[in-house]
Amino acid sequence: MNRTSIKNKMILSFLALLLIVMAVVGAARQISDNVITGLAFSAALALAAGIIFGGIFSRSIVRRLNSLSGAAKEVSRGDLSKEIPLLSRDEIRDLEEVFARMVSDLRNIISEIKEVSTRIEETGRSLGVQIEKVLSSSREIDETALSIAKGSEAQSLIVQRTSLVFDKCLEQMNEAAQKSTQTVSRTVQALQKTETGEAKARETLHYLEEVLKQMVENAEPIYRLSGKVEKIKMVMDVIEELSRKTDLLSLNASIEATRAGEMGKGFALVANEIRSMAENSRHSSHEIRAIVDDIFKDNKAVLASLRKSETDIDKGRTLIHGIVGTFGEMLSGVKQISAEVQDVGEASRKQVQEMRGLLDQFQELSRLAHENFVSTQKTTINTKGQKEQIMEIARAAKSLQALSEKMVETQRRFRLPEA
Amino acid sequence: MDCFVFEAGGKRLGIEARCVYRVADDARPAAVPLAPPCHVGVIYYRGDLFDVVDAGLLLGDRSSLKDENPYVILLKWDQHKLGLIPERIAGMKWIEAPKGAEDVFTHDGRRIRLIAPEDIWRLLSDLSYGH
Repeated sequence: MNRTSIKNKMILSFLALLLIVMAVVGAARQISDNVITGLAFSAALALAAGIIFGGIFSRSIVRRLNSLSGAAKEVSRGDLSKEIPLLSRDEIRDLEEVFARMVSDLRNIISEIKEVSTRIEETGRSLGVQIEKVLSSSREIDETALSIAKGSEAQSLIVQRTSLVFDKCLEQMNEAAQKSTQTVSRTVQALQKTETGEAKARETLHYLEEVLKQMVENAEPIYRLSGKVEKIKMVMDVIEELSRKTDLLSLNASIEATRAGEMGKGFALVANEIRSMAENSRHSSHEIRAIVDDIFKDNKAVLASLRKSETDIDKGRTLIHGIVGTFGEMLSGVKQISAEVQDVGEASRKQVQEMRGLLDQFQELSRLAHENFVSTQKTTINTKGQKEQIMEIARAAKSLQALSEKMVETQRRFRLPEA
Repeated sequence: MDCFVFEAGGKRLGIEARCVYRVADDARPAAVPLAPPCHVGVIYYRGDLFDVVDAGLLLGDRSSLKDENPYVILLKWDQHKLGLIPERIAGMKWIEAPKGAEDVFTHDGRRIRLIAPEDIWRLLSDLSYGH
């Protein structure tokens, strides 16, 4: 759009007025020769033209200024919804444009303020929630730190006690290592004694074999005697039977002699003698039988004893065989034990060394636990400070929220064009 | 008189020698059914059949049967034949004949009761058979 400045307009208007005056003056000269009248007429005409032009010009400016003033009043009341009309083509146009830009900027600012205040409000709310969370976390941290502190203290105590136990353990293991050394020497002695025992058992077995052989040789006559005694018993049975028959015969003879009366008396005497002899014979045979029975019983007892001795010796031989075997097993067992005890001793010594290292580590652990305790105490103090700072932040957030509310309140005073 | 002396049922008894026929051994009496407990059985000896009784149970208070092969005193008088199993036989003794009804006499300081074979037979006959 072509612009014309007020100055140019005024110059053009003056020139137009001058032209009109000159034309009027020219016309007046033709009409009248009177210069004064011409001049007066032209002056009046020029004045009238000036008044008309000036009125039109000033009204145009005032109208636009009034329009701007009205817009400014609306803006001052907070109404930014109306558009600023760009009516002029002169310097007032600049003012209108500047004013329109200012209103537009103001709208943008208010919109931004509104947005910012909304964001601040949201941020404030979010900050409040976060602060609550942080506070909760801080409390948890505080509690955890307290718990860690207690745990560290307990840990420190446990580690100290464990160190003491380890110390005692170490002493006992030292003793065990010393004892295992003694045990090694004793197992060596046991090994020697077991070897001696095995040799003695073998010797005893040899002697036992000899004794058994001797016993078998010695038992032969006794076995033979047993057979003879059996034969004697058989003979005794025959003798007893004979004496019994003789007795019976003499008894019947005496009966027959009695029945024969006087004639049989001599025979009766003989029969009685025979009977008496048979009685004596039976008595003697009874005695012999008793003696033979005793011999037989003794012989039987001797045989039983011999058999028992043989059985016992057999058992003894088996036992000694077992003992020899056991000694052999003991020997290998003792050798194994000796090797194992040596291994155990070596392992004990290594264990003592490792336990010493472990004890050092435990002491280090104790120190660390103590440091941990101190650190957690510091953490507790720091979390307390942090909590206070968070409270400060919370307070700041609250005031920020109040401020944003105030901003929103202020922003509500402005009316923006509807989107 | 000659007396045959034996022991049975804890008593020492004597019997007149003329009634004694024989003393047998290895006699195995055959049992008789329904006979009283003291009746051991019957044996056949040289043509005669003898009733054999346990003298201890019949004349005393305990059995005389102790041996598997006991002696049997065979008695023969009148028409009767009886066998007695004693505990022990003492043998033939000569004694003074008892006076009157007395049937007890003493020999070698021991009392001997003289018993008649008829009395033994009567004792046996009085027993209830079948029990």
